Amino acid sequence: MNDDNKGKVSRRTFLKGLGGGAIGTAVISTGLVKSDSVEAYSPESSGGVGTRKTLNLKVNGKSYKVEVEHRSTLAEVLRDQLGLTGTKIGCDRGECGACTVMIGGRNMYSCSQLAVWMEGKEILTIEGLAKGDKLDPLQEAFIEYDGPQCGFCTSGQIMSGKALLLKNPQANEAQVRRGLSGNLCRCGNYNREVAAVLAVANKAR
Amino acid sequence: MAQAQKEYSVVGKRIPRVDGFERVTGQAQYTGDVQLPGMLYARVLRSPHPHAKIISIDTSKAEKLPGVKAVIHHENAKVPWASGGHTHQRFIFNNPVRFVGDAVAAVAATDRHTAEDALKLIEVKYEKLPYVLDANEALKPDAPKIAPQGNLSVGKGSFSAPIQESWGDLDKGFKDADRIFEDTYITKHHNNAQMERRVSVAKWDAGKLTVYASTQGISNARTDIARDFNLPLSRVRVICKYMGGGFGNKNQAQDYDYMAAMLAKQSGQPVKLEFTREDDFIGMHGRWATEQKYKIGVKKDGMITAVQLDAVANMGAYRKQSGNLSGTDFYSIPNFKKIILPVHTNTVVAANFRAPSYPQSVYAFASFLDNIAHEMGINPLDMFMKNRVQKYKGKSAFSSNYLEECIVEGAKRIAWNDKWHKPGASTGVIKHGIGMALGGYQYGPGLGAAAIRINPDGTAHVLVGVTDIGTGAKSTMAIIAAEALGVPLKQVEVTHGDTDVTPYSVGESSSRTTGYTGTAVIAAAEDARRQIFNVAAPQLKVKAEELDLRDGEVFVKADPTQKLSLGRAVSRSGELIGRATTNPRFKDDVQGKSFAAHFAEVAVDSVTGHVKVTRYVAVHDSGTIINRLPAESQVKGGVTQGIGMALTEELIIDKLTGIPINPNYRDAKVPTHLETPEIEVIFVEHPDPYGPFGGKVVGEPPITPAVGTIANAIFNATGKRIKELPITPDKILQARLV
Repeated sequence: MNDDNKGKVSRRTFLKGLGGGAIGTAVISTGLVKSDSVEAYSPESSGGVGTRKTLNLKVNGKSYKVEVEHRSTLAEVLRDQLGLTGTKIGCDRGECGACTVMIGGRNMYSCSQLAVWMEGKEILTIEGLAKGDKLDPLQEAFIEYDGPQCGFCTSGQIMSGKALLLKNPQANEAQVRRGLSGNLCRCGNYNREVAAVLAVANKAR
Repeated sequence: MAQAQKEYSVVGKRIPRVDGFERVTGQAQYTGDVQLPGMLYARVLRSPHPHAKIISIDTSKAEKLPGVKAVIHHENAKVPWASGGHTHQRFIFNNPVRFVGDAVAAVAATDRHTAEDALKLIEVKYEKLPYVLDANEALKPDAPKIAPQGNLSVGKGSFSAPIQESWGDLDKGFKDADRIFEDTYITKHHNNAQMERRVSVAKWDAGKLTVYASTQGISNARTDIARDFNLPLSRVRVICKYMGGGFGNKNQAQDYDYMAAMLAKQSGQPVKLEFTREDDFIGMHGRWATEQKYKIGVKKDGMITAVQLDAVANMGAYRKQSGNLSGTDFYSIPNFKKIILPVHTNTVVAANFRAPSYPQSVYAFASFLDNIAHEMGINPLDMFMKNRVQKYKGKSAFSSNYLEECIVEGAKRIAWNDKWHKPGASTGVIKHGIGMALGGYQYGPGLGAAAIRINPDGTAHVLVGVTDIGTGAKSTMAIIAAEALGVPLKQVEVTHGDTDVTPYSVGESSSRTTGYTGTAVIAAAEDARRQIFNVAAPQLKVKAEELDLRDGEVFVKADPTQKLSLGRAVSRSGELIGRATTNPRFKDDVQGKSFAAHFAEVAVDSVTGHVKVTRYVAVHDSGTIINRLPAESQVKGGVTQGIGMALTEELIIDKLTGIPINPNYRDAKVPTHLETPEIEVIFVEHPDPYGPFGGKVVGEPPITPAVGTIANAIFNATGKRIKELPITPDKILQARLV
């Protein structure tokens, strides 16, 4: 590891089982877990028998105390351990965008983020976008403009669209295309997804 | 048959999908989202060799890894996979392995990382065998033999070889021709690349097998599983409600369903088997690669007199599908003969990808016809118009055919006459061009079943065995039911995708769901209406045949003020159940087809060879459109897939090792938001006499002409004909130099 990489952690480091030391944080004791936190699934039924760590994940405004394997990605923990299966995994290698969530207000591929890096970060998934039955305007636009065909990329498209609109509420068509360009849709429904995001942006003008 | 209602209340509108809420909130449950108590995770080990005999397989180290619960391979899980290969027997694990990516073993463990670790501990000793990757090489007498009977894939019925078809008198056709042209076009294997990786969850309860499949057809998947596991249909349950795309490659049951079932059996626990994205590219299948040699005879005015096609289709190691080529379907060809050789090679299997036998052959034939037009000084629009198909194979009438109107409308919309120029006449660094091609897909009525429960409050529960793979089938069934019953759409609930609960459906393949199952829904609604009128008649003091039902109200036809809400009419009936199994047929001399004419404009950068599709107009004759919103989306999607097939997509297999070198999204180069233009969709709507409410097929047709359309636009821009897909920048630059 050269000096530039000090303090950073690669997935490979974790695969070698050195992860815990590399990020220099102690395993969080149960005493630090907020009282309103949700106990995630038991470790026996969840990701991995390798080196493990208990951490506190903040997802959709809720705190989850969860024990994860060091090499588990955020996408895996969201889906397998927290039961938030609206986030999909299409490629598991940072190419398709089906796993896009918002981390600290930015759209990111959750398959390319280790769960252990997420301590203290605000994570928003598709499940956290609506307020109960009240959909986010972008979700409503996705229904109205037929955004989902098979629907497998839809969560990611919406999260990228949402992140774009937070940064640039009046985004134009070219900006919308670029903002969503990291999200593949093999049904080829790009026209519809762009139209949905643009409809929300146009209302903000 | 459809009721002859002129004014529809829900059919033909733009209706958002009935499951939109589930889809935009992440609540729609896909196969990979299923979590069962005690469920294990499974991964598959694949062959690194294109052709090899497995000498030994040692799983002891893998089995000792904590968390590993079951390991299966060709010795302890010899399960036939009948639909995986139709000309020589295929098992879920085979010895010898016949392509890089052929499954060798599968592991189930308490979590997926342990399953992945365990794969690395399996020791397999291979004896490498000679292999062949190229279809023409494979036909040579000294080529390594892949199937027992040789590399020409000879089977029965639709899997015979060669595939042959002819009509008219070919010799006379060429004798009548003023000019005869010959040329060869090449297309490549490319992967369906649907967003949802293949996944299956299987469990056994007291000898009954339940499979949460990622399938396009729960009914045919159940049939496959029951046959290959030797179980009665009643002991197999297949569930698939939402499916993340397949485009043909997830029809029926697949080896991963069987592997999950065997691992579940061996471990005694439910198993979720997930493919990686690489598994999906190298382990399953994409569209068959072809070499197509055409000989075409034409009169001075451009009219075709004869077509001869000799082709080779690379089917990979197994014959999962036909290997046919059908792009000539859209032209009037008085004398015709085709001979197609489906060939085995040591490459990944080729099978169905949206309109399986069309886009690669439409590309070749429409390119060649466009070229002939150029050689003879005929405007391509005239060439396509005068040679468009009018009778099926020169004899049978179509149930409806508005191809001419498609051509006229599209040419008008894109302003063909203003924009078309002599090929290569575009000046400047960026060359602009315009092109067109014809397409469509066969359509016919067939077997369907449906039940409609009328609840005592007047709400309706439609039971149909469809899965929603993105086509909007669930919404379509709701719309058809609402229209046929005469109740508001919001009063209709659809239960789908579970063989223990829902009736037979053909499966979301070959664009058949609306025609087959939709027709059954109409008949089930008519059955329900009869029962509703029987219970309402005494309440309204009239005879049942005097009643009608519309907008959720039962009323006397002669005096609509005498009425009852449906809820009141059936409130004391417990539950009425309308049901139907339908199997309509065309009249003997009628054939069905949806038609399309596509038009595109492209900009070709003559320095980089980069092609951008700048405008696209797709005009379709699909009969009555049941729901415009998703129907338009289907067309847009088919065209987008065609753009990828035309310009970038190819699974590249290393000639020295037989290893696919780009089995991932980044290198497979599927289109993104940035490459896709706004696709203008026009339906020329004329009801077909056979389809439900006059509808024909929508899903398959749009990809069929897209590749040829773009290829012809590139020719118009550059004056250079690229005779091999995909039309990548290097090919364009090379063509410019010669």
